[in-house]
Amino acid sequence: MHIMEGFLPHPWWEIWFAASLPFVAYGVSRIGRMAREQRETLPLLAVAGAFIFVLSSLKLPSVTGSCSHPTGTGIGAILFGPWITSVLSTIVLLYQALFLAHGGLSTLGANVFSMGIAGPVVGYLVYRATQRFNLYLAVFLAAALADLATYVVTSLQLALAFPAADGGVLLSLKAFAAVFAITQVPLAGIEGVISALMFKYILQARSEVLLRLNVISKMDLARLQGGMT
Amino acid sequence: MHRLLDDYAHENGLRGVSPKLKLAIGAFSIIACIASPTPAVPLAVSACLSAALIALARIPWRLYIGLTAIPLSFALLSASVVALLSPGEALVSIGALRLSREGMWLGLLLLSRTIGGTSSLFFIALTTPMTEIFAILRSMGLPESLVELSMLIYRYIFVLLEEAMMVRSAQEMRMGYSSIRSSISSSAMLASVLFIRAWERGERLMVAMDSRCYSGRMPLVESHSVRPGHLAVSFIYILSITALLLAVIRGGSA
Repeated sequence: MHIMEGFLPHPWWEIWFAASLPFVAYGVSRIGRMAREQRETLPLLAVAGAFIFVLSSLKLPSVTGSCSHPTGTGIGAILFGPWITSVLSTIVLLYQALFLAHGGLSTLGANVFSMGIAGPVVGYLVYRATQRFNLYLAVFLAAALADLATYVVTSLQLALAFPAADGGVLLSLKAFAAVFAITQVPLAGIEGVISALMFKYILQARSEVLLRLNVISKMDLARLQGGMT
Repeated sequence: MHRLLDDYAHENGLRGVSPKLKLAIGAFSIIACIASPTPAVPLAVSACLSAALIALARIPWRLYIGLTAIPLSFALLSASVVALLSPGEALVSIGALRLSREGMWLGLLLLSRTIGGTSSLFFIALTTPMTEIFAILRSMGLPESLVELSMLIYRYIFVLLEEAMMVRSAQEMRMGYSSIRSSISSSAMLASVLFIRAWERGERLMVAMDSRCYSGRMPLVESHSVRPGHLAVSFIYILSITALLLAVIRGGSA
C-alpha cells in the first residue's frame, strides 16, 4: 500500500513528513547508540533491512489476480521492535521509490507513517499482548493486523486530503477503504499465515537467533520445542 | 524486476553529469508538479524529463514506458475515487455514482501530477547511482549511522535478491507454486530461509569488516564537478518550468 508520487497535495505531504520525523529521529538515535555500544549490531540491522526490502518485493499468491506483495513490517516489528523497524522501513521505502517506483519522495512521509510507524506499532503491541497464549497465533495476528493498520491509515491519509463533497472525510474514508479492501484484506490474511509459518521454520532451524533478539523467552522456547518433537 | 533500475544508473548517457545537479533537477520537478493547480506543468515536466531520459541518457523507450505503467495503475484507481467523490453539478451519473466537471478535473490533475512525479523519480533513479546519492546525503549532514546503515542495506539487497531468486526457481521446478496452498507454504519457506541466510551473512560481514579495521565510516568518492554547459541547460529548464507555473497560477486566479 504505497501512495504514489504527486498524489498528496500541499499541505498534506508536509504534515505527514512532520508526523513521521520524531519517530524516525528517535529510532535513528537508538540505532546510533546501539552501534556504539555493540559494534556487531549495524551489520545485522543492515541485513534485516535488506531482508524487509526483498520480502516486500516478493509476489504473493493473490485472490484477485493483481500482484500483491507483503509489507514485511509486521514481522520486522516482532523481530526488531517498532523503533528500529521505523528506520529500516524509511530506508526501504526510499529504495522502493527509487528502484521500483513504488511510492515517491514527496509522499515518503505519509508512506513512512502508514507502513513504517502505524503498522509496526500495532503489530508489536498485538504480539506482546497475545504472545502468552499461543506464539504462532500471536505472530499471525501481529502480521495481519499490522497490514490492516497500514491499509486503514493509508485510506485515512487519502480521505483527509480528498474529503467528499457531502459526507466529508468519513464518506471519503469509506470509499477508499472499500476500493482497497478488495486486495488488502485477503493480503493481510495471507501475510499473517506466511509470517506464522516462517516463525515456525526459524524456530526449528535457528531458535537461538530469536532468543538473542529477545523475541521469545527461554521458557517459551523449551515449551515449544517440547511440543514439536 | 530482474534488472534493477540501478543497473541503468551506472551506464547511462548522463552518468558524467554532477549528481547534485541531477538531484536538484529531480527535486525541483517534483515540487513544481505538486504546486501546479493545472495539469499543464506536470505534463511539461514529464515531457522534458522523458525526452532527456530517452534522447540524452539513452534509456530504451520500451523499458521506460513499461516502468511508468506500474504506478499509473494505482493512480488511476485512486484518481477515479477522488473524481467520483468531488462536489459540483453532475455531468454523468450511473446509479449512485455521479461524476461532476470539477471531479473530472481534479482526477485528471492528480493523474498528471503522478505522471510528472514518476518521470522526476525515474530521472533521478535511472541517471544517478545510489553510491553518489550516499555521498550527497553525507555532505548534507545526515547522521553517520543512518548513512552507513543505508549503504549496508543497499549492498545486501542485491545479495539477498539473488539468493531469493535462486531458491524460488528451485521451488518452482519442484512444483512449489502449483496451487494456492503450496505457494503459501513455499513463500513461507522462502522467507524463513532468506532470514536465516541473511542473519548468517550478517555475522560473517561483521567479522570481515572488523578484520579490515572498519571504524563505522566507509569512505566515498565524489568526483564529478558541475560543468557550465550542464548548468546552463538545467537553468533554462528550471526557468521555463517556473515561468509556466507562475503563468498557470496567475491565469487561475484572474
